This record gives sequence, structure tokens and C-alpha cells, in this order.
Amino acid sequence: MTNHWIDIKNSDVIFIIGSNCAENHPISFRWIMKAKEERGAKIISVDPRFTKTSSLSDVYAPIRPGTDIAFLGGIVNYALQKDLINKEYVKEYTNMTYLIKPGYGFNNGLFSGYNAGEKKYDGATWQYQVDEKGVPKKDPTMKDPNCVLQIMKKHYERYTLEKVEAITGCPKDAFVKVCEVFCSTHKPDRVANFMYAMGITQHTVGTQNVRLMAILQLLMGNMGLAGGGINALRGESNVQGSTDHGLLWHLVPGYMPVPQAAANPTYEDYIKKLFAPTNDPMSINWKKEYPKYWVSLMKAFYGENAKKENNYCYDWFPKAVRPAPHIILFEDMYEGKIKGTFFWGTNPVVGGPNANKEAKALEKLDWLVAVDLWETDSSIFWKRPGIDPKQIKTEVFLLPAASSVEKEGSVSNSGRWAQWRYKAVNPPGEAKADLDIMDMIFRAVRELYKKDGGAFPDPIVKSLWNFTHEGEHEPDPHMVAKEINGYDVKTKKQINAFFDLKDDGSTACGNWIYCGSYTGKNMMARRGTSDPGKMGMFPEWTWCWPVNRRIIYNRAAVNRKGEPWDPSREIIKWNGSEWKGDVVDGGPKFGPDKKNPFIMNTEGVGRLFAPSGCVDGPLPEHYEPMETPTTNLMSAQKLNPAVKVLASDMNKWGDAGRYPFIATSYRVVEHWQAGAMTRNLPWLTELVPDMFCEISPSLAAAKGIKNGDKVRIQSARGEIGAYALVTDRVQPLKINGKPTEMVGMIWHFGHGCAETGDSCNQLTPAIGDPNVMIPEYKAFLVDIRKA
Amino acid sequence: MSDKAFLVDTTKCSGCRSCQVACKQWNENPGEKTEFFAGPELTNPKELSAITWNHVKFFPLDRSNPEKPSWTIMHKKCYHCETPNCLRVCPEKAISKVDGWVVIDQDKCIGCGACVNECIYKVPGVAAVDYSAAYVPNPGVRENKWYERIQKGKSHKCHACTRNERKVPACAFACPTGALTYDHRLRVIRTAQERLAAVKKDFPKASIYGLKEFDGLRVITILKDAPEKFGLPINPTPINITKVEEINNLYSFFSLFTFGLPFLKRTAYKVARSMTVGDRGLS
Repeated sequence: MTNHWIDIKNSDVIFIIGSNCAENHPISFRWIMKAKEERGAKIISVDPRFTKTSSLSDVYAPIRPGTDIAFLGGIVNYALQKDLINKEYVKEYTNMTYLIKPGYGFNNGLFSGYNAGEKKYDGATWQYQVDEKGVPKKDPTMKDPNCVLQIMKKHYERYTLEKVEAITGCPKDAFVKVCEVFCSTHKPDRVANFMYAMGITQHTVGTQNVRLMAILQLLMGNMGLAGGGINALRGESNVQGSTDHGLLWHLVPGYMPVPQAAANPTYEDYIKKLFAPTNDPMSINWKKEYPKYWVSLMKAFYGENAKKENNYCYDWFPKAVRPAPHIILFEDMYEGKIKGTFFWGTNPVVGGPNANKEAKALEKLDWLVAVDLWETDSSIFWKRPGIDPKQIKTEVFLLPAASSVEKEGSVSNSGRWAQWRYKAVNPPGEAKADLDIMDMIFRAVRELYKKDGGAFPDPIVKSLWNFTHEGEHEPDPHMVAKEINGYDVKTKKQINAFFDLKDDGSTACGNWIYCGSYTGKNMMARRGTSDPGKMGMFPEWTWCWPVNRRIIYNRAAVNRKGEPWDPSREIIKWNGSEWKGDVVDGGPKFGPDKKNPFIMNTEGVGRLFAPSGCVDGPLPEHYEPMETPTTNLMSAQKLNPAVKVLASDMNKWGDAGRYPFIATSYRVVEHWQAGAMTRNLPWLTELVPDMFCEISPSLAAAKGIKNGDKVRIQSARGEIGAYALVTDRVQPLKINGKPTEMVGMIWHFGHGCAETGDSCNQLTPAIGDPNVMIPEYKAFLVDIRKA
Repeated sequence: MSDKAFLVDTTKCSGCRSCQVACKQWNENPGEKTEFFAGPELTNPKELSAITWNHVKFFPLDRSNPEKPSWTIMHKKCYHCETPNCLRVCPEKAISKVDGWVVIDQDKCIGCGACVNECIYKVPGVAAVDYSAAYVPNPGVRENKWYERIQKGKSHKCHACTRNERKVPACAFACPTGALTYDHRLRVIRTAQERLAAVKKDFPKASIYGLKEFDGLRVITILKDAPEKFGLPINPTPINITKVEEINNLYSFFSLFTFGLPFLKRTAYKVARSMTVGDRGLS
């Protein structure tokens, strides 16, 4: 989230797309209802089904899964055609006036620079025209055909009302209603908030889906303001913390890129590519600080062994030889390239795409360590139906873990608040906190390296691992938190904020964005409830990254004079000499007229047109999902041209002839993710006891299915059983003139735990978005019949 | 506590069923074994029962206004009538009002089912299985409190957490959206009336239920349409008190010969009822 949960109450329009937050984030509705009651906020729900979220919304618009860009692109067109944009904001704070190189072009679904053989773009023609100093050229009149406004107009005028209706299946009237309500926030005193989740991201165009929401928010002038922003509703209580600390395959802690073996063989290469320099005097270009954060991270990892002379142990740090997202890891495993795996609170036999393949891949492992509260579907993959355990060689170790109330530590929520939690009870039996388990494993491995040597022992033997007090056996989470915050190497004093981190080896910091979370005291344990300004910011409640800034990009909340766009929604202002309110973005030194507000890119303004950052194009463009019942009405490119399809004998693809119905997956409030936590709880299985799918009465009639019947659902990759919930909340959509039916499925069930059932992911495809490789769980094809 | 009431605002309910789960958790009631969904949409189990005191009903989607389909999800539990049929009909006077809440004393209950038959809202249930042995003592937690355990042959229902006492009943405490709140009854009624005026904009036929029924309920419900649409009868006829007295007089006489045995008492009640009104109802 750029904003935070409580801030939802400050919105005038709440645009919910790709999220059923009433179901999956129930607490969000406390703030949504507050916005509705106290501000008269309008709620928009765009969803393939009429959901619980839709039931509390003012405007409901149906949408075919996988067509968000057509839908949102249509809104861009509506706003530009009707001139419903916040002009001052857009001119000052976005790149709408910037000029793009004349070589840029877009033709029939392909941007300039496409290499069909490699399925890859060269973005050279997507760059800005620059003056002799290297500063991007602008056309304040925005009439130049190469300026971003004109390029966008040309790109999105193709997204007509008729096209939007034919592609998405959303009736024109409902779509226009959404446009009217959302675009009402182009006025400075009206603000909309986008709430999204996996319905937006789990597509082969997932990254561009998110970008298009950001584009709309920039056009309306809603970024940086209270009640605005782009708000990713994280699906697990601490998934924000896990990505912050580098759990994603392409990032190290603090969202810096993972060093690549081929691209960054040396320290100099890596440091050089951490940020792009700029000569633009208006740009803060915060990433220029990254070398300081990197060196401090290495000091936290390798202690006194990290020195200037050895490039702070750059050669010790693991480098990526190729992308290693979930899909590719399991591809490698399936091909027998991986010997052993740790499953730490993950259940891919239920949750992974093409789950049959993932289960099969586990059979190729020599060993599997599962760390969990109890047996999960994945830790007993060798007992799944139709499998003879005797034929499986994988040795499985189950390490009992402590639950969330049985350990101490921080939990970061979607709003980036790191909140300290305490241990309420001791874990049962031999169960241990994750930290203890990790610490024991690391120390045992280090002993082995010390004893037996090994190919490359230094990074393990000489790393700094000091989380246990003298004379104690178990690590102390406070010591971990202190290292994450960072300290002065010489004085050992905690650092107050990342402004003080250095690239000369004098500071150590485990994660620069958490610098300030554990200073003289544990800021995450604060419980102050003061709320100056009554905007729900609660600056003394725990701590939020970065530097306790509650709303990111808050420099954009005021105009160039420093006055809030909307005085009734003031979170920050510049009084001519200093900033008041929230912790300002980019440091307090510069006034709003001196620096641009979007500090994390080189130009400092919001990118309507993205010269870099996305490998699949500078502007979001509609492409069909990998499996689709129709042709692409926007261009000759069916699939996102930058998507790479993995050739594997278990990656099969279906067509609409054999699998005529669109399928999508989702969750229900009663179960959590892959269900291992909830399928053992009778109070929850009473409510949702079985795997079920939702279909429309018309599809049910056509297939002779009644409510409560057992059905079989097939895709090119598998077949599952489910109960059918026949409901008016699902309706066929008219796609390209043809009524098209949908099968919606939950994905909480598996063969293990107290209540069992088939996993929807036995049907889903293992194909990913080209930027981040998130699997396309949310749109694929199936057939259905009565069992 | 005596002047408190619940407000159920179906225009705010997101159907998360936190109330249903929180009730079972606080009162340590067992989960029901279900298959698929027992009622419309996601409703599960089908109705309130001896072990489910708090229930969320999902109604089918109403698409009569195609521009704005309406999906009603309604929290339901004992309405705690001011003049309850169950209290009047109970031959053992096991049902009483405690601080305004209708509470069953299981020590007196004989499981005759009179309360089950006469509750037009189908609230109480006589347990078919004994769960009292299944309770695991939880040291340190509420150890000094006596609380209701599900016993076979006894009638159970919501007691507004008066038995397992807490400041705000578990269901209302758990509600994230403000659809289920707990306050002074007069304030609840005032809030309901204000809210009704506000929601009429979106739901012109919206109504309030529970102001007059059985001299007033302690669960006031704001509905998107007329109460009958959601199975809530307007101005239901209360039970015929003369007939009840006749049955109970006869039962008192018969019960002299039941040696305190619950099954004989149940038989005695059935006979007394059948001799007085036959197959007919009591209202």
C-alpha cells in the first residue's frame, strides 16, 4: 500500500478491482463503511462475479477474467477524451509533458524494438528526448505528437466503449457509470483509492495491470494524498514483511536488485547498475543512495570481513545465474536438477500452479524439509491419492513450528506498519519458533563447514551471525531487529534513520527501509494513539517504513506552493521554510518548488509512459490470457508478446473447442490460503466443508447440473471433483458477441488435513508475467460436467 | 445490562460470519458436521440449533433491479422477545428473563421441546448429543465462571453471553463492519430509525424489524426490503396463554407420577398437550 488501512476512511471513491476484500480482508470494510457513512463515499466493485464486496458497493460492473487492461484502458480514454484529469497535478508531477524519442512506435499490438526470436523488447526508442545537459525535454503545450499526452491519447483512443464492452463483457451502461464515478475525483477536493489483490496481479499482464491503475491515479491527481494511492491488499498477515526482507527471487532486503552472475560479475558493475544518474536539478533520484545501503547490508551479513579492499565481500554474495521464480524452481525440480528443498510455511501441492506437476516434481527430490504447525498436503505429498508411497524415494522431515502466538517478533501489515508482537504461550512439545529453527540449522551447517571444509566455506564460516546473548542457547528476536535497523560499526550505537548510512563500511544495516525501526528503543512496540489532524495517521502507533512515513509520495499531496490540494485532507504542508505533518518524502531540506515528488525514479515525476521498468512495454496494452475463448480485438497479438512459455511435458494448453468455459480461482473468508490452517478447524469447516465451484443457472441448465450436485471439472492439465453452487451471482458475459460462461473455483482444498478435497490448482497453468513471473491463476479454460 | 439490545444492520453486513464463529469460540460450542451448503447460497448449517446459537443466513441474489442487484446476508440468533412464547410455554419454568435476556436453565429443562415448537423464529434446539465431556478445561481462563455446556436432552440457545459473561457479547465484538452492534435499547432504536432514513435512498422498501413483535425484541434488524421477504412475520400472534395454562395445570398433575425422570416428564408433557389442544397449535 502507498497508503494504509485506516486511510481508506478518507476516500471519496473506493475502486475495488481484482479484489474481493469483503471476503479476504474483512477488516478493510470497517474503514470502507466509515468512508461511506461519514463522507458519502461511493464504492465501485469490478468483478467477474457478484461478490460479498459487490453486495456492499454502489456500482457493480462485471468483467471477464483477464481483461482488466481493456477495462481500465477504457477509463483512461474516457478521462482523456472528456478532459477529466487534474491538469495542474498532471503537468507538474507526471511525465505527460515529456517528449519521447521519435523512433517510438506502436503497431498492431507491438511496441517498437521487439525481437520476435527472443520474445524481448529493446527499449531504446522508449526513452525521453534530452537536451544538451541530458535533462528530458518537455512541451508544456502538450501538442507535440511525441509528447506523452499525445502518445497516450493515440494509444488509448482505441479503447472505445464498444471495444471495452466486446472484450470485457461489461455492459456499456455499467462501464460508463464506473467512469463517471471514478473520474469525478479529478477535482482536487475529491480523491479515489484503488484496492486490488491477486485478481489484478495473477495474469500474464499482471504488472501492466498494476501500472494502469497507477496511471489512472496520476491522471486524477490521487497519488500521495490521504484517501488515495495504489493499495495492494496483501494476502497473508506478514507477506509485506517477507517481501520487504528480500524473500522474492529478484530482490535483496530493501527492494534492491539481486546481483546477476552475467550482468554484474564485479562489484563495480553491480554498484553502477543500482541506479541511473540524472542531471535533472529537480530530481531527488533517491536510488543514488543505494550503494550506501548495499555496503551496510554487506556489513550486516559479513561483519568485519567485509572491507573496502575485498569490495565488501561482493564475491561471497550469491549471484543469480538465471531468473528463479516459483514456476522455474518447480520446473528445475521436475527435471531433477534440485536435490533438496525447504518448505517453510508453504503448501505448493495445493497452492502452486499446475499442482499435479508440482507434486510430481517433489518425487524427484532426495529430501524435503517441511517446517509447519502440522502435516500439510505438501509434506505428505507421498500419500496423495493414486500414489504408492513405496515408489517415492524422497526423504521428508517435518519440523514442528511455533504458531504466531507462540513466538515474539515483528509483523508488517499491508500499510507497511511493522508491529511488534509478544509471545502469549510457549509452543507445544518440541515445536520451535522459526527463528530458533533457522538459527539451529545455520549453526549446524557452519559447524559442518568448519569441520569438513567444502568447496566455498568462507561465506558461511565467516558470516556475522550473532543473535544469541552470552550464555544463552536461543536467539533473541530483539537482536535480529537491532541488526535490521542498523548500527554504527565502531560505537555499536543504533542508527536513527537511513540518512546516516554510509558506503565506507562504518555502518551496518540489515534492511535500509527498516532503518529507524529499532533505534534507542523498539519503535515497533510503540502503542501511542494520538492522531494529530484526525486523519487516522497515528504516527506514534508502532512504526512504518520508510522513516515512519504513513503515506508514500506525500510530496504530491501539496501543490508547488506547498498547499494541500484539498485543505480538508491535509496530511502535510510546506509553510515556506519547513514541512509540517507526515514525514516528508525525499528529506525535509527541499521545498515543493525545488524538487519533484516521485523520488524513486530518475525524473522525479510519475510515469504515465514508462521508458524503463517494465520489459513488456511503456504503456499497458490489452492481450488475451494464455488460454482464452476469443481472439484479441485490440491487435493481432494474442498473448503478451514478452511472455515466455516454458516447454515441459506437463505444461499443456487447452483451447476453447475442447475447454469452452473461462475459469478463475479465489478464496473465501472461512479458509486461509492452501487451507492447512483452516481445514483442521471444525468451526470453519462447518461453514465451508467442501471444495466447490460457482456457476450460473444458465450453464447449470445446459449441463443438467443442480445446486449441490457433484461435478467434474477438467482443464488441459488435470481433472478435479467439486460441488456446484448454482447462483445468480454468476452470469454469462457477452464476449465479442457471444455469451460466454464462467466456472469460478475456490482453491483451499487438498488431500491432507481433516477436511479434504481437490485443489483447483490441479487445473491452473504454470505460465508467468514477463516482469515478475507471477503465475496466471486467474484466467484459464475448463470444461464441466455432472459427476 | 438490563436495557441493552443488538442492532443488526443488513445493509452493512459483508457475510464474513465472524459472529457465527466467535459465538462458537467464546461458548466453546462444537462445529456441526456439514456437507456442501445446507441453505441458500453459502448458508451453513441450515438453521440455528442446540449447538449453533448464532447464524448467518444468505438469501438468493435479487436481480429485480438489474442496475443494482441486492444480496441480503442476515445475522440471526435468539431475538430475546419482551414477552417470549418459549418462556410462557415452558412447563418447568426453566426459561426466565435475566437482565432482559431470555435464558434457559438447563438444570430445570426436561427437553420436552415446547420452547422449540412455540418459537416462531425457530431459535432453541434440544441437543441430540451430549458434548459436556468434550470440554477441555482451560486453566486460567474464566475458571471461576460457570458456563453453559451442551448436554443431551436439554434445550440450548443464545443467552447474549450472560452465562459466559463479557462486556460486549462475542458476536457483536467480532463484527468488523458495524453490521452487528450492541448498545442501550433506546439508542439502538434511535440509531435504527436514523439509519433507515439514510438507507431508503438505496433501498426504498427498507424496513426495521423488532420494534413491536412480542412487545419488542432485543435484536433490532434493519432490512433492505419488507420483513416477510426474509422470513420474519409482521405482528405475529402471541401464544394463547389460557391454553398454555390448561396444559401446564394438567402437566403439573401428571408430573406427580414421573419420579423426577426426564423421559417420563417429557411423556407427561406430550400427553397433557395432546389432551388440551390435540394437533392444533397454541396461538
